[in-house]
Amino acid sequence: MRKITTDVAVIGGGAAGCYAALCLHNKGIKPLIICKGLVGKSGASLFAGNLVLSGRLLGNTEEQAKNTAEFLIKYHNQFLIDQQWARRCGEWIEKNYYRELEEAGLYFRRDDEGNIVTSPGKIRSIAANVQGNSGVPFMDLRRKQILRAGIERLEETTATALLCDEDGRVGGVFCLDILNGEYVVVLAKAVIMATGYSDRLHVRSTGTREMSADGIALAWRAGATLVNMEMQWWHTNDAAYPPSWQRIQIYPNPMLGSEKSARMVNAQGEEFFNQQRDDPLAFGPYTVQLKALAKQVHAGKASYEGGYYAGFDHCDPKEVETYTTYAKPFHQLGLNFPGDMLETAVTSHYRQGGIDVDIATMRSSVPGLYVAGGVGGHSNGLIALATYDGFSVAESIANNLDGIPSKDIPQQSIDREVKRLSFLRESGGNGLSPVQLKEKIRKMMWKKAGVEKNESDLRSALSDIEEIRNHVLPDVRIMNKTKSVNYEWLDAIDAVNMLDACELIVQSSLERKESRGPFFRQDFPLTDNNEWLCANVLKKSGNGVRFERRPYELPFFQPGFALRDNLEVPW
Amino acid sequence: MSITPSPYGFARYLGRDENHDTLAARNTRLSRGQVIAVEIKRSEQNGSFQRFHVPYEPRMRVLDALNWISENEAPDLAYRWICGSKMCGTCGVRMNGREVLACWEAVEPEMKIEPLRNLPVLRDLVVDRTPFEKKVASFEPWIERRKNYTEFPEALTHKEMKDAAKALDCIGCMCCYSACPVIRLGAVTDFAGPAPLVQLGQTALDPRNDPAKIKRSLTQTGIFNCVSCYKCEEVCPAHIPIVSQVIEPLKTKTARLLPHLAKHSLALRAVVAARGRVDPTALLLRVQGLRVLAKIPRALRLLVRGKIDPIKTFIRVKTAAYAAAHRILSKGPELE
Amino acid sequence: MKFAYYPGCSARSTCAELNEATHLVARRLGLELVQLDSATCTGARELRAIDPAAFYALNIRILALAERERLPLMTVCNTCTLNVLDAHAAFVNDPSLAKAVNECLAPEGLHYSGRTRISHFLWVLYEDIGEARLRGLIVNPLSGMTVAAFYGCHITRPPLRYGFVDSRNNIALERLAKILGCQPIDYSGRTECCGFHTAAHDEKVAIKLTGQHIASAKMGGAKAMVTPCPLCHTVLDGFQREIEKDMSEKLDMPILHLPQLVGLALGLSPEALRIDRHMVPAHALADYAARDPNLIGKP
Repeated sequence: MRKITTDVAVIGGGAAGCYAALCLHNKGIKPLIICKGLVGKSGASLFAGNLVLSGRLLGNTEEQAKNTAEFLIKYHNQFLIDQQWARRCGEWIEKNYYRELEEAGLYFRRDDEGNIVTSPGKIRSIAANVQGNSGVPFMDLRRKQILRAGIERLEETTATALLCDEDGRVGGVFCLDILNGEYVVVLAKAVIMATGYSDRLHVRSTGTREMSADGIALAWRAGATLVNMEMQWWHTNDAAYPPSWQRIQIYPNPMLGSEKSARMVNAQGEEFFNQQRDDPLAFGPYTVQLKALAKQVHAGKASYEGGYYAGFDHCDPKEVETYTTYAKPFHQLGLNFPGDMLETAVTSHYRQGGIDVDIATMRSSVPGLYVAGGVGGHSNGLIALATYDGFSVAESIANNLDGIPSKDIPQQSIDREVKRLSFLRESGGNGLSPVQLKEKIRKMMWKKAGVEKNESDLRSALSDIEEIRNHVLPDVRIMNKTKSVNYEWLDAIDAVNMLDACELIVQSSLERKESRGPFFRQDFPLTDNNEWLCANVLKKSGNGVRFERRPYELPFFQPGFALRDNLEVPW
Repeated sequence: MSITPSPYGFARYLGRDENHDTLAARNTRLSRGQVIAVEIKRSEQNGSFQRFHVPYEPRMRVLDALNWISENEAPDLAYRWICGSKMCGTCGVRMNGREVLACWEAVEPEMKIEPLRNLPVLRDLVVDRTPFEKKVASFEPWIERRKNYTEFPEALTHKEMKDAAKALDCIGCMCCYSACPVIRLGAVTDFAGPAPLVQLGQTALDPRNDPAKIKRSLTQTGIFNCVSCYKCEEVCPAHIPIVSQVIEPLKTKTARLLPHLAKHSLALRAVVAARGRVDPTALLLRVQGLRVLAKIPRALRLLVRGKIDPIKTFIRVKTAAYAAAHRILSKGPELE
Repeated sequence: MKFAYYPGCSARSTCAELNEATHLVARRLGLELVQLDSATCTGARELRAIDPAAFYALNIRILALAERERLPLMTVCNTCTLNVLDAHAAFVNDPSLAKAVNECLAPEGLHYSGRTRISHFLWVLYEDIGEARLRGLIVNPLSGMTVAAFYGCHITRPPLRYGFVDSRNNIALERLAKILGCQPIDYSGRTECCGFHTAAHDEKVAIKLTGQHIASAKMGGAKAMVTPCPLCHTVLDGFQREIEKDMSEKLDMPILHLPQLVGLALGLSPEALRIDRHMVPAHALADYAARDPNLIGKP
């Protein structure tokens, strides 16, 4: 077992975690990044397609600036967001974000004359190198900045538990190095949870291979308050098959240098969604798309699992291929481009909710545990917001570092975790393999906590979770008990986290008795701004959950109605 | 890249249609219900191959087959993947002898799957990325600006960034590194390899980068060991023209900034300028100088066979070819 | 059939036998070759890297010379072929480059308008002469000669350009060998690299790369190897003694230029085809030469 002492342990190597580490480093504070995958290659940050222009940047008009703010609050968060925070965030992005990235060398795509190529419209965006792939050079730049700064990274290393002192203050992280099977204890004055927006808890999920809601599970076990766990996006346009392509999206967003967006048709070839026409103000129209799809599903003309199509058959191929990568799946399948369309299906996407954050200090409810990026319940779905969080959390920690008491982590909590993990590896059961168990959990969530939820299915999901936890998990069979590169072992560890997170999501879904944006309750189809324009807060209470509600203030934008059928709400 | 008939002669692609090796054919060769025979190299069986039979599903990728095997038959199979969308570059494997991304490549009716070459194998299909990462790190792959950055957006055109932008498509999958025959020779040369060079190209070909910084990185590339075999380009999933848009531009920079490393290339240019055509003996003499004398036995052999003609080498005749080369190499066209 | 013919540097020096064999075989096949004597080197691999402007000018000049003759261009060296293909593609896709190059060629009275068809001798056999006509001209089928085809990189890669396909699909040489009566063998070195382009400053790469390929061909039972590129030939044949020393293994593998293999099947003698000029003796191949004195002949 290795023991490392550092100032700040950052769990997560995505946009938020990397930027937090860089900011801390620049303040003379020593960070250490713990990344389950590879910094710059795992997580959701990689998937950033392009970058929204906020404020008055790059010739944005006053109206476009306002649209961006409205988009963030309305279309992206359905008003479940602190609007003052959103404004601060927008201002920071306008002043610092693009500048910092470009100075470090990120290449925002130009044309041959030197103009930055934008997607035109009510909200504009730009791309790093090429649209559809902006996350790749973006995160690669972060990786190289971290390399240059000499910031220590533990890669292909998973955080399995937060280590707390006797007062319940987080003072370290227990980790497993996946490649050599060694345990690593990281002791730190502060820990930042930055594990991101995605969880991979459904059969079809944009979450990448390594995701298993670890950030949520670890924080919850340490006693952190969560919020809005039921609020979750769904992609509508992801390839229906093959299964490995469930993250390949036929982007509905506006394209650089073009006035067009992809369109969607149902099983009968009728067009039912085109962002340019149906949702021009939404830069990422996922929720409105989902609602349009729901109507098709209800009319029997599509299903959430396929039977509808997306493509660019109304575009000139040059419009798509000059500045974007969106044609690549068509070509790889040997299809005609742009004539052929691709069958698509829904995929569970980013979690709007997460760990409850005090946005003034970026603290969770647990002392010593900070939060940045998508795992927090305060922001949603944009790499710029995650980056702002990285900045904010570093500021906050820097202002407080001297005042942080340091008490030792009791040896028994370390021993307990060693025992727990070793026990999992040596599982002598006869039941499912760990990967089969994960699939079982995902199938259950897909079926009972999918796009359209209702009380009966959700309660059934809870008893399934109980059953899995009590009978299936203890009987898990690990074929090869070697220590190194043992993904069976990792999957078993992950499955425990998945169960915890799924339970919280299901209970949270039961609690919110309305529909809002992408959250559909068949038994509560109305959006209820009287009762539910609130954070659905989950507090740990014994072995269970206690719910509270916390209304959101509406200083800049208001929904303008009290009750309405969610499917008719344009956000 | 739309699919239109090739304007080029058919002799070059004779085998492709017969082997059903077009992209369209690869995706339609099999149908649901058929069974794929898969052999995978396993570490714990002394590197022997374990055999599986996987039911085909439409558009199946190699990764889908691996996932099926993991879920149904070999839960202990170790393989990496993260994004499934050709962005993370961690799922590179060799399938039927060819480097591919598991998430991107269609399955074939019979598949032999092995780990990437030229890298230590950690377990089954998982290789150690460290040699590649270390080499990239040694290049200090970031820009150091010549002029201070003032404000966003800075003055920059795509034309200036053309080569660097292509290099930015690199996802670090190491398929090219596995395919490179020079890397396979190991310590025989100090060639950095295509993948690290593409990573270097991202900043070394960036016009905003300080030439002094670029010069430092270029001392470590061993770039003139590239044999221009294009195997890297053949396997690159991002279709980066590695040789022509990364390695050659880096060679150009090296010749300019560190001419002592480019002696052979500069010598060839000089020989062409002096003679119009390349006389291999003249070239060798220019590059290797007196060291050539160490190879007297070979020289004699070549002489006996008439393969070298010292008279021609040492007595230059001014041909029309010479005149043209001399003129053009003294003052060539002015390209933008 | 008439072609502008560009032999390249190697066929005019180290591999002069290739040039002789090409002319001989062309006459037999009814190909009239107009040799472009004032054509310069295409720059191998080095020039294009360190002086792209000169590279384009020299190569476009060759294409312009052919265009002036209003003839398609035939090459016999892989690297030459790829160089002119690349230069042509750059010319056609970049009008400003085209303009600059033509300005450079103007003092010689040369001008290129992008119309020259480029074809390696291997492709000419298929596309211009054609399989049927070729079969008709064969008087000495090389039955029993097991041959290993060594394609060389530059007429098989990079894929997706110039009609090149994934190199594992190449069968042109094997199919040709069969037409000539040979028995082509499968072996691991078929579409691998000989390493010529670092040989001038570092032989050991070429020696170590190529050794494996020859050994593999030998293990596959090949009596000879055939290659369409004199640069590959220079390594396979010219360096074979060094390779044997490096591998501590005797190889004794005769290496034929493509026109020489074709020539043997057309009834030409090994002497006429200058197989005697190779570094590795090819006496064994004399057994496959035409026996009928009426067939061996004057070109």
